[in-house]
Amino acid sequence: MALRFEELIERHHDEIFAYVWRLLAGDRSSDRKTEAEDLVQEVYLRAYRNFSRLRANTNHRAWLYKIATNCAYRRLRQIHNGRGKVAALANVAAAIGSASDISASQREINRGVRFLVNQLPAKQKACVTLRYLQDLDYPEIAQVLGCSQESARANVYQAIRRLRLALEK
Amino acid sequence: MTTRTRRTDHAVVKQLRATLGGPAQSALAHSRARVARWLTDQAPLIQWGEMSSPLGKLYAAVSGRGLCAVDFGHGEAEFLERFHPRARLEKNPQSVERVMAQLSEYFAGKRSRFDLPVDLSTLTQFQKTVLEVTCRIAPGEVWTYHRVAEALRRPRSSRPVGQALARNPVPIVIPCHRVIASNGALRGYSGGSGLKAKRWLLQLEGAFE
Repeated sequence: MALRFEELIERHHDEIFAYVWRLLAGDRSSDRKTEAEDLVQEVYLRAYRNFSRLRANTNHRAWLYKIATNCAYRRLRQIHNGRGKVAALANVAAAIGSASDISASQREINRGVRFLVNQLPAKQKACVTLRYLQDLDYPEIAQVLGCSQESARANVYQAIRRLRLALEK
Repeated sequence: MTTRTRRTDHAVVKQLRATLGGPAQSALAHSRARVARWLTDQAPLIQWGEMSSPLGKLYAAVSGRGLCAVDFGHGEAEFLERFHPRARLEKNPQSVERVMAQLSEYFAGKRSRFDLPVDLSTLTQFQKTVLEVTCRIAPGEVWTYHRVAEALRRPRSSRPVGQALARNPVPIVIPCHRVIASNGALRGYSGGSGLKAKRWLLQLEGAFE
């Protein structure tokens, strides 16, 4: 039986929300939860409009991730163009500082990792998020980002390498 | 060296997962509810139910406009397959109570015509017109495909008439079974067990012995 739109929400809503929420980690707006909610709503709206045109063999999960990636990066570009980097760092620091249940040194490392992840080139950040936080395999990542599997692997490798080198310093 | 690098990479991934984490369950639930509410407003609602009939398990569905599907002799999955994938499907026997009551009366020989709003919005204008003409055929009577085409003032359109009848989403309620070939053959029927069901319906109505 063909997949119904309702099932797209039941099956994939939570992971799509988690994905955009993670991509927005460097978002300077004050409420990441609301921002992610708006984006997820937009993802499903776009998906709904195009659902009838999908081919029978479409990987719906990868298709939703693709829409989510486009929506999130468009939003991040808007934010980036609208405000300065100083505000971004201040917000990240404030967010980390509010978590009182972790030690100061761990907080410092977390702050560093967040900063480094947000400094990654957009494609590397998306690749590493999809691979290690959303658990997509390389063929799916290639579909989401419209690139080859080799390119997806290379981007993940480069992202991890950058993070490792930065953390070793 | 490679092993060490791999181990270090593993540590980086672990650190990454620990740092970036995931959203709170409450945030997920809030967003999920919001998307579900939006879909409720956006997507057409199709409510459906089922009943036993002399022709096997019979399914019926209604949209906001009226009765939009009747099927029998097939499985539930096959019945639900016909609806647009964007529609919301809800099994709700109450929504089709009136339909089922009238169909039961029909099968018991107590009703020959149906008094139900019908939703033919998924059909073309030609298909709708063919089905409207078909509704004029009285119980116990049969028309040929050619006669239906003539009633449409398109006497050469017997074949398109047959194709339009095959698309009837509400068989029995719109009596496409009352249309047969010019040589008296039943010709075709897409409901239930095909020609066997068509013959049974015509016998019930007294058109065939």
